[in-house]
Amino acid sequence: MSAAGMRCPTCGSTNIVDDDLYSQAQLVCVDCGSVVSEGVLANDPVGGSDVSFSRTTAVAKRPCTNLIKGQQRVKAICRILMVNREIEDLSQTYYKMAYEHKAFLKVSLQKKEILTGCCVLLSCRQLNWPITVGTISCLLDADSMAVGAIYQEMVKNLSIEAPIINVTDVIEAHCHEYKISSLDVPEELAENSRDLTKRAVALVELAADSWIVTGRKPIPIMMAATYLAWQSLKPNKHRLKFSLDKFCQVAKVKKLKSAMKRVAEIKEVLCKLGKEIPWVRETVTPDNVIQLVECILQNRYALLRRAMRTHEDALLEESQASCAEAPPEGTASSQISECADQTPITSFVKQNGSNSDGKEKPGDVDYNPRVLPEHSDTRESQNPPPNWGKRVLFAPPCVINAKKRRAVQPEHTDVTGDEEISDSEIDSYIRTPQEARDFALMQQMLSLSDSAKS
Amino acid sequence: MDSSNDEALDIIITNVVATFRTRCHLNLRTIALEGTNVIYKPEVGKVLMKLRKPMITASIWSSGKIICTGATSEDEAKLGARRLARCLQKLGFKVRFSAFKVVNVLAVCSMPFAVNLINFTKNNRPIASYEPELHPAATYRIKNLKATIQVFSTGSLTVTGPNVQNVATAVEQVYPLLFECQKPRCK
Repeated sequence: MSAAGMRCPTCGSTNIVDDDLYSQAQLVCVDCGSVVSEGVLANDPVGGSDVSFSRTTAVAKRPCTNLIKGQQRVKAICRILMVNREIEDLSQTYYKMAYEHKAFLKVSLQKKEILTGCCVLLSCRQLNWPITVGTISCLLDADSMAVGAIYQEMVKNLSIEAPIINVTDVIEAHCHEYKISSLDVPEELAENSRDLTKRAVALVELAADSWIVTGRKPIPIMMAATYLAWQSLKPNKHRLKFSLDKFCQVAKVKKLKSAMKRVAEIKEVLCKLGKEIPWVRETVTPDNVIQLVECILQNRYALLRRAMRTHEDALLEESQASCAEAPPEGTASSQISECADQTPITSFVKQNGSNSDGKEKPGDVDYNPRVLPEHSDTRESQNPPPNWGKRVLFAPPCVINAKKRRAVQPEHTDVTGDEEISDSEIDSYIRTPQEARDFALMQQMLSLSDSAKS
Repeated sequence: MDSSNDEALDIIITNVVATFRTRCHLNLRTIALEGTNVIYKPEVGKVLMKLRKPMITASIWSSGKIICTGATSEDEAKLGARRLARCLQKLGFKVRFSAFKVVNVLAVCSMPFAVNLINFTKNNRPIASYEPELHPAATYRIKNLKATIQVFSTGSLTVTGPNVQNVATAVEQVYPLLFECQKPRCK
């Protein structure tokens, strides 16, 4: 409003000037000093401005702090493991992808930390760098089951395929962890890392051939193989007296309980093979087999063949002896071929090339665990067919010591869902009123005595 | 089964889980007082009742929902559930047996050959997964049957699925895949 053409309501003069008070526009009469009119204090539009608060205060979108921290952690893990540049970059990419995937966006921080390790694990596997889940869980200080679960979820969500590592790949990295070189320990205990690895790899391969590796965690097996390799490289009294505990202490490695069992199992296999060495006169026991390890490993395939053959022959003799006892139900030759049928020496014979007499080729025989030929029914009707663990030389312990399965009650097969249920059956599940009263009384007494005690 | 194999695989059902409803509120205290073979768990809010004849354990909630576990066939599960409902009826509740459904079936089966798990997983990715450090078996999930099969290297299988038919179909489906990855048992 302009000052011209206005009259002061108090004194009537037309001498009105613009005299702003700070930011407020005011029209003031010069003669009497009264304020004729004043403006608003602020110039905000009514109902809020057109531009929203968040837009006015917006800054350029920055990556989430946790994502940055996570990526730094990924980098740190890669540096600790001393992987190459490619793996580091790949893990960073995977971490970013996984972090922003909706499955992982809202998980706890602990899970996101585990996710960093899983990304490194995945990229190592894809680029053929052997590390184990155990190593990652050590680095992250997390439970390996948790690491495994998140790893599997991640692989599923990102639809990535990763190859599985073999124990023999990882063993080299594992052996490097053992501080057993001449720099760390006195000369008599020291071992060259390369020799140690080579021997340990051979032991692990032997274990794999004899059912020790399948289904077991790899790290105790590698520990057992490394220990036995170390002992066998210089099998003097001093080293042989070293227990697994002491060895792990010296090598500054954490001992695992199941490694002891693996040591025993590998020694058993070595004994079985050691028996077949033609020039060894004394009996081979787990105590003196270590000296023979080098020889066994060098000739292990030949020794395996010999052991299998000895075992076959022993079984054949046994079953021939028991065949002779049973009443003859057919010609002798058919009996023997039946007995041979029971020992499934299949593709091993194929591999051998040298076909032992009378054994059938693997392609023709269908292994029939339940359908026993009629002749042997009289002999074996009492006992169920022995499981394959008892018949072959090498078998996993779970098959050799199989749990006896509880016999299925035949009455259960006649059940239909809609039979009549008699009252007497149901009454057996209900307490009589007297019993119920006794029970209630007993409960009261018990609760009283509890409250008296406390 | 495969026509070239003249053997039959034994699929042994070890557990059947079924649920049903009684369509009425159940007083857990009464059941705990007047029923034999019951365990009352007030902290969880349920009663565990064990039947002898089909060996079944039932979890009973006060809303009337009941879960039966431990049966060895679908029919047995139904019989056990009905027996349980009769029992509750006798205890005085207005029970109506409804919405019976078999929810899960667990079966075991043994192959006549051992399986090389690494080859099996390689041939069947991503349906199969194997982490030796975490679990000794390879897991094979059949999506359309909603069945999960755990394959052990000795040739034993553990199958879980929503009903017995699916479990049998799952074993049939996986058999040829296992057959081509078999491992000689003698070595």
